[in-house]
Amino acid sequence: MLENILYAFSDVFAVGNLMLMTIGVTAGLIAGAIPGFTIAMAIVLTLPFTFGLSPVEGLATMIGVFVGGLSGGLMSGMLTGIPGTPSSIATTFDGFPMARGGKPGLALGLGVWSSFFGGLISAALLVTLAPSLAVIGLEFGPWDYFSLVLFALTITASLSGENLMKGMIAGALGLFIGTVGEDEVNGVARFTFGVDDLESGFSFLPVLIGLFAFSQLLSDIQDRVKARAALMDTRETDAKVRVEHLTAIRMIFARWTNLIRSSFIGVFTGVLPAAGGSISNILAYDQAKKASKTPERFGKGEPDGIIAPEASNNATAGGALITMMALGIPGDIVTAVMLGALLIHNVQPSPTFISDNPDLAYAIFIAFFLAHFIMIAMQSVTLKLFLLVTRIPMYVLASVILAYCAIGVFALNNIVYDIWVLFFFGIAGYVLRLLGFPLAPIILGVVLGHVAELNLSRALSIDSDLMLFVSRPWSLFFLVVAAFSVAFPWYQKLRGSQPWTLAYLPVLLACVSVPMFMMEGIVRPIIGVALLALSAYLLWRSAKNGWKVTPDGDHEVHLEET
Amino acid sequence: MGRLNRDTLIALLLLVFCGVMFSASQDIEVTNYGTMPSHVWPQVVLAVLTVFSLGLLGQSVLKAEAPGAETAESAPGGIGKYRNAAIVYALFFLFLFTLDILGMLLGGVAFVFLALTLLGEPGLKRVPLHLLVAVATVGVMWSIFTFGLGVLLPDGEILQLN
Repeated sequence: MLENILYAFSDVFAVGNLMLMTIGVTAGLIAGAIPGFTIAMAIVLTLPFTFGLSPVEGLATMIGVFVGGLSGGLMSGMLTGIPGTPSSIATTFDGFPMARGGKPGLALGLGVWSSFFGGLISAALLVTLAPSLAVIGLEFGPWDYFSLVLFALTITASLSGENLMKGMIAGALGLFIGTVGEDEVNGVARFTFGVDDLESGFSFLPVLIGLFAFSQLLSDIQDRVKARAALMDTRETDAKVRVEHLTAIRMIFARWTNLIRSSFIGVFTGVLPAAGGSISNILAYDQAKKASKTPERFGKGEPDGIIAPEASNNATAGGALITMMALGIPGDIVTAVMLGALLIHNVQPSPTFISDNPDLAYAIFIAFFLAHFIMIAMQSVTLKLFLLVTRIPMYVLASVILAYCAIGVFALNNIVYDIWVLFFFGIAGYVLRLLGFPLAPIILGVVLGHVAELNLSRALSIDSDLMLFVSRPWSLFFLVVAAFSVAFPWYQKLRGSQPWTLAYLPVLLACVSVPMFMMEGIVRPIIGVALLALSAYLLWRSAKNGWKVTPDGDHEVHLEET
Repeated sequence: MGRLNRDTLIALLLLVFCGVMFSASQDIEVTNYGTMPSHVWPQVVLAVLTVFSLGLLGQSVLKAEAPGAETAESAPGGIGKYRNAAIVYALFFLFLFTLDILGMLLGGVAFVFLALTLLGEPGLKRVPLHLLVAVATVGVMWSIFTFGLGVLLPDGEILQLN
């Protein structure tokens, strides 16, 4: 093990890799600082550059972009009130008032260092939890994997916006796109309609860039006036901004409970499929406000209101990497791209990934740690550069990036057909956006479709009995949570107004306890008992209160782009 | 047909799509390799898509569209609000269509230059700046991929560099 760690250290700390990571972090910071330019898009556009790199270099660069992007969003959010990414929405609630109140340096310091500490906590959890989760993953059979994919797709669709039905349709469309071309199991051509190029199906990257990046860029420049104007007017603020590091660190340490709680919320949210930084920052902000002795100060420049969202959104990255590395299931577009990058290098993340590729796995752990140190250095040194970039009009960025997309997509397989796929899915993505369809479920559908089909085929080859999907504990567990995730949008919408919403959580806990009792060992049945007891307590409490509902002011959360 | 709204039309189109694809799935070769036949998974997916499309149809028919519930994309502005997107798609199509003649370098420069000129502020003064941005950005990208990453980007008939 020590040998693997040392080998990974030498890989990550190689001069070339350090340079790539620095470029990645800087690119992420810039992308995060530009409103409308998401981390997912930055990661997607980084992928073509990684083809010529080793797996360690490629993934380290992308991790740099990921970490940088999560922190970059805070700058525009604090200085202009416009969050650079959805991951920094809650940061603006208190960051902007603090900056406007004459303390932009302190606001930035709190944001930057909270991101740093949140990231480090999640990195520690990544190292600890990923191998443990992978051990659990080794228990999974094809039935369990199929149900896990089903859960990932349902939760993505249910969290992706107001219209659950469109989210579900989007997920199914993604699965369908994945069926075009020769199937992996039998090698039979499907839906090719006599077109030879279609026999190889649609490569993931052109589909992803077309659906996501191409269509988003066109949405961003749709408004002619906004497309021509500078993205943000930061001329007034950039002259007087200087990050107050020491004061910020002292303030964060004085509020360590908030930091730890928010980081854990971030990691937990990241581990859940589909729930990314856009959700965790609002959840952490909400919990910080509820736990505060002075909740009335929130929204007026309260330091806790900056620490919570920034610590949690960086911690989410570690959580997302845990699931991706341990189970091979991407939680969001960012980890889907990383999974794609690994596949390009012929590395298939799965429960055996960490034991089969220890050098690469440890390199990812180390790169994730290191990226936070680079992030803090780059954010402090090049703050003015980021502010300068935000003065470029969107139409210039969009035009140049579209040309880059074409070059990047061609580089994947060296065939022009892939650029046509990009063009076709660019139109499809734009139209689907206009019609109100979320794109994240489509993209995850494309990625997970193959995993689902492969595992369904394996399961049926072993035993054609479909009851195994509900009689195997892990499979049942995922099917139960998938069913409840479908009902989640209604629960979220009606919570506080309908009495049945009081029973949602207790019933979920009771149902989840059933597969726990079916599992072997002592610990899991004990967890099942605890879940059942908690369920009974919640039901008893609601009954005691006469099933009265109390509206709460929770922020509604959506997943569209990380 | 007072309830025929946008979602109803989408649902109907999706149902037609499912029907066509389900019909196409009948042509998929049936194998007997001891694994799940190749047509099963696409048909399962299409069945699921059909059910959801029917759900959307029912939902759109039952729920009358609330006034002012239109999303941002249907804000006033008519077809003109899609002008920028239409320009970019047309230019990208031209870029692809002429790739054999212009190649990636010249085609890319032409695409960026035309996009900047047509999307940006009108005026002759901006033309040299747009040209400079197009040549510099595409040139740098082309160089990184060609020399840095060793990718043989397509040459055109006009300019052959590989």
